[in-house]
Amino acid sequence: MNKTIRKLAYPYYGWLYFLAIVPIAIMFVLIFFDIEGISFGEASFTFRNFGLFLEPSTIEAFLNSFLFATMATLVSAVLGYMVAYPVFRSRFRNKFIILTLFILPMWSNMLLRTEALGNIMERHNIYTDLLGLESGFNLRGSNLAVLIGLVITYLPFMILPIYTALEKIDPSLEEAALDLGVSEMRKFWKVVFPLSFKGVITGCIMVFLPCMSGFAIPEILGNGNIMLIGNIIEQSFRNMSYNLGSLLAITILFFIFGSLLIVNKVDKDGGTLI
Amino acid sequence: MKKVIIELRDVVKQFDDDLIVNGINLQIFENEFLTLLGPSGCGKTTTLRMIGGFEQPNKGEIIINGKVFNDIPPYARPINTVFQKYALFPHLNVFENVAFGLKNRGWDYLCRFFKEEEMRSEILKEKEARGHIDPRVTKRDLKKKINEKISEAVKKVLDLVKLTGLEKRKIDQMSGGQQQRVSLARALVNRPQILLLDEPLAALDLKLRQNMQYELKEMQRKLGITFVFVTHDQEEAMTMSDRIVVMKDGLIQQLGTPKDIYNEPVNRYVATFVGESNIIPGRYLGNQKVAFLGAEFDCLEHPFKVNEPVDVVIRPEDFDVVNHEKAKLSGMVTSSIFKGVHNELLVDIQGHEFIVNTYENYSVGEPIGLKVDPYEIHLMRVENHE
Repeated sequence: MNKTIRKLAYPYYGWLYFLAIVPIAIMFVLIFFDIEGISFGEASFTFRNFGLFLEPSTIEAFLNSFLFATMATLVSAVLGYMVAYPVFRSRFRNKFIILTLFILPMWSNMLLRTEALGNIMERHNIYTDLLGLESGFNLRGSNLAVLIGLVITYLPFMILPIYTALEKIDPSLEEAALDLGVSEMRKFWKVVFPLSFKGVITGCIMVFLPCMSGFAIPEILGNGNIMLIGNIIEQSFRNMSYNLGSLLAITILFFIFGSLLIVNKVDKDGGTLI
Repeated sequence: MKKVIIELRDVVKQFDDDLIVNGINLQIFENEFLTLLGPSGCGKTTTLRMIGGFEQPNKGEIIINGKVFNDIPPYARPINTVFQKYALFPHLNVFENVAFGLKNRGWDYLCRFFKEEEMRSEILKEKEARGHIDPRVTKRDLKKKINEKISEAVKKVLDLVKLTGLEKRKIDQMSGGQQQRVSLARALVNRPQILLLDEPLAALDLKLRQNMQYELKEMQRKLGITFVFVTHDQEEAMTMSDRIVVMKDGLIQQLGTPKDIYNEPVNRYVATFVGESNIIPGRYLGNQKVAFLGAEFDCLEHPFKVNEPVDVVIRPEDFDVVNHEKAKLSGMVTSSIFKGVHNELLVDIQGHEFIVNTYENYSVGEPIGLKVDPYEIHLMRVENHE
């Protein structure tokens, strides 16, 4: 590539370097030290931090994260397919508009959105006021509330890759299936679904990762009752125990890279990532 | 008399306001190789898709084996299609692609397809041979037998299209020619009565295309399946077809054997679309005589009125180059291109340009004398709107 053109990306490289690569490297180093804050003066090399993995609270948080992320991913996958498929099938000309509607909520601030959702989940909320009801039921603070929050927030990440994968299926393949004597239902399971599956995988990973590592949604909708790994990382850094926070953050990072490898394997050309 | 297998009656198809097929009447016979020929947008592919069941006609009837098939979905027709871009399933290998049509059929269909009675007796024989006392045929036995039969059928059809041993290949690891064969095998394994082919050779290179033309023709003869072939390539149509349907603007222009269409085109459009031709305005004089370019020529008997204006068609290869004394027409060579076997000359005769194919060498600017035999002169009715 032309050298001058390559220089255009330098500002971004600087940003990437100082705000991503260096911090990750520092976090990686911090794993092996036992210090408060970042004061390397009295640092000593140790593996003691790894004991964190044996603590019940960490294990529970990991399990919680995993369970919530898995549940949210499964629910989103089903809901996402149920949305993407009709859009794909609809004869509406400008499907881009429909898809934009799905992304629309993502343009409002996530914290505000989650807080608003939390409000609706309370016993007295805007709907009970409007409808003049005595009281609804309180969801906020429950597992279900967190799950709903995760699904609502990350569903668009599921819909888009599935839709893209569906849209890329050559229509003549469906005709060929019908021509070879299969019914509409069988055509879906034998041709359409397998060919859109890489979109489902991409979507699953795009939903699973933020669900696994996020902390705002469980914090707000769980009223602090539900501890995910993201919450522990957040607390560790807030309490100046950078070593433990780094350890957990790096662990999550490994998960992320692992998942990206999976995406890379199923979807070589990256066609479903838009 | 040949048996009619497909009949189209006044079939009309329009998309929104576009009239694509404008009232087609056509009978297709059993075991024939019929080609729909025409430029893109002439309605040939739409006609094929209506036969296949992918489009419903707005008007008219599609009759297959004597029954109206208008609203019957593709999977219930005794028809299979070879698609233009093959439409092979990329998530399946060659074997799975070819077996798709059989593997996904219902139990009853497969029992009929492979003849249940025969399978039962085969199973019994095998069991007896293995020494079973009181052998009985269970549903599981039949299921196993059907799977065996499917594998056999797939193997056989892959042999037929010369892809033996490539069962496990992935589709994206095959060349265009091989993919073409897989899609042919995938259709043929279902033993359709009718095979529809939508420009299947368009994406292949010249040599491969010519080979496939012969193979397709050979296959059609051997299998006794009715082939309905769509192409815009007149040479392809000539090589393979028993009959050709020349189409334009959703209408059939001419229906006939390749020879008829080439030698006796009904109008200017067919004459120019099928092969090169020289078309000259003339006048029919009656008594097997026609006048054009200021001379009188002998021709064959035609049903025109005396002194009726006609279009005279002479194919470039039908001119004879002769000495000036014998020549009825004389002109001047304005261009000469060597085409391998022959030379293609452009000859100016009284201001009209003619294409003449000859083995003789002429250079630009030379005078040339031409003669045409009576049976090489074809007359057409003059069309007013052209």
